[in-house]
Amino acid sequence: MRVLVIDPDTARAALVAQGLEGVQPLEVRRSAVYDEAEVLAFAPDVVVIAAESPDRDTLDSLKESGQGRPVVMFVDRSEPGLAEQAVRAGVAAYVVDGLAPNRVRSILDVAMSRFALTQQLRGDLAKAKADLESRKTVERAKGLLMKERGLDEDGAYRLLRKLAMDRGKPIGAVAADLLAFAGVLKGDAS
Amino acid sequence: MSGLSELKLGFIPLTDCAPLAAAQALGFFEEEGLAVELVREVSWATIRDKVAVGALDGAHMLAPMVLAAGGEVLAPLALNRNGSAITVSSALAGAVADGGAAALAELVAARRASGRGLLTFAVVFPHSMHNFFLRDWLARGGVDPDRDVRIVVIPPPRMVERMRAGEVDGFCVGAPWNAVAEAEGVGRMLITASQFWPGGPDKVLGVTASFAERRPDDLLACLRAVIRGAAWADDPANRDELIALLAREDRVGAPPAAVARALESEIIFHRGAAGLPRREHGLWFLAQMLRWGQLDPAIDSQVLVDQVYRPDLYRDAALSLGLVEALALADPASPLPA
Repeated sequence: MRVLVIDPDTARAALVAQGLEGVQPLEVRRSAVYDEAEVLAFAPDVVVIAAESPDRDTLDSLKESGQGRPVVMFVDRSEPGLAEQAVRAGVAAYVVDGLAPNRVRSILDVAMSRFALTQQLRGDLAKAKADLESRKTVERAKGLLMKERGLDEDGAYRLLRKLAMDRGKPIGAVAADLLAFAGVLKGDAS
Repeated sequence: MSGLSELKLGFIPLTDCAPLAAAQALGFFEEEGLAVELVREVSWATIRDKVAVGALDGAHMLAPMVLAAGGEVLAPLALNRNGSAITVSSALAGAVADGGAAALAELVAARRASGRGLLTFAVVFPHSMHNFFLRDWLARGGVDPDRDVRIVVIPPPRMVERMRAGEVDGFCVGAPWNAVAEAEGVGRMLITASQFWPGGPDKVLGVTASFAERRPDDLLACLRAVIRGAAWADDPANRDELIALLAREDRVGAPPAAVARALESEIIFHRGAAGLPRREHGLWFLAQMLRWGQLDPAIDSQVLVDQVYRPDLYRDAALSLGLVEALALADPASPLPA
């Protein structure tokens, strides 16, 4: 497991390393500030950062760009609710200051699996959206064929499927091409 | 107990925290019946989270960040107009010269043709005037902000050191960090926010909707104190004192000469009802958020702006101080970027 601790304070990095004792292979690195080149080279499985670090904004922005990594945040126990809010905002998990080292490992494990789950859900959502778009396109192409070629619904679908197989393209792509060409023939594309 | 209502407000080390810093230093909060703890925060994400959970009652915030909170945070006061600028590294400034973003577009094309990597620009937060200012400026010059350059996020006080290290070729940040980059010979300012949009919006005071509902009297007192702080900060007679206050390590922590620059001609805190949070500014921000894919198109911008931007709260406070110009409906500055 590769862990990057972004914190000017060495004590927390030591706590993380102590809590992960026995994990093999293990590399815990500490850096006072977020350094992009270093992060890319090290490719940590999880990043641990203090809530009061200015680099939080940088990490926060990465989650939208798809280059995000699971982030675990150290928070001060004197600010109730802050940790939960940070989680809502995209931090994968948090460690309350003064935590016993023996819980560090489970927290990092939770963070990594939570992050993987979020990434998967995001991927699933994107795929579901694309599938829906493709189905709508196929429906419209079917409608066009039924109208222009006098086919019934089943016949229109079989024709689309045959076109797709002949061209080795997905049926959604063939349907989109068909609709685009129909548009050109009607003169609505310039 | 002093009999004063306690209030905790957060700020980021930037010149535009001046109305808050001045209200605190000159005792305006106490005079309005408040005991305010002014907390210096280091990241916008922390400000956002602390305001959301009530760990802060209010804060110096990026206006688009308040809109992104979807109605949970209100903007009853604008802290300043203008103040940010786009600065590029000295090397890039030499290549771009006075050609602006159009010259940059040629440079980007030449770099691509010769197989060199993308130029890197930094902003302070995705939901920020700085991000939209930079993107609009690039796009008008023919540079696609999403494809032709790389835009990263770096906290304001770190911008200059990152440019010096050669990690960023340009950035858009609030005062005083552009002037600091110039003073240290690291970069050169190409365009200021007041050239991009004279009198254009910048930071706001954000408070949670629940705070505004539970403690309307304290909110009014707070707005009165901050408006008085803004008026004081805007007065040239107080310039030297303001510079000394902001330069302090527990405020902005930058050299006085660099702090002075944006105060001379760029940033406006009070005059011309600068503190009025104008809904047309909110709508412009939402349009930019939509343009760059940060906003769900299904959201009704008009409804959201009316929920978040509260000129009525500003006007109540300003009128109670006898500031009748707050009643002005038309914005004296230009309503949209040139």
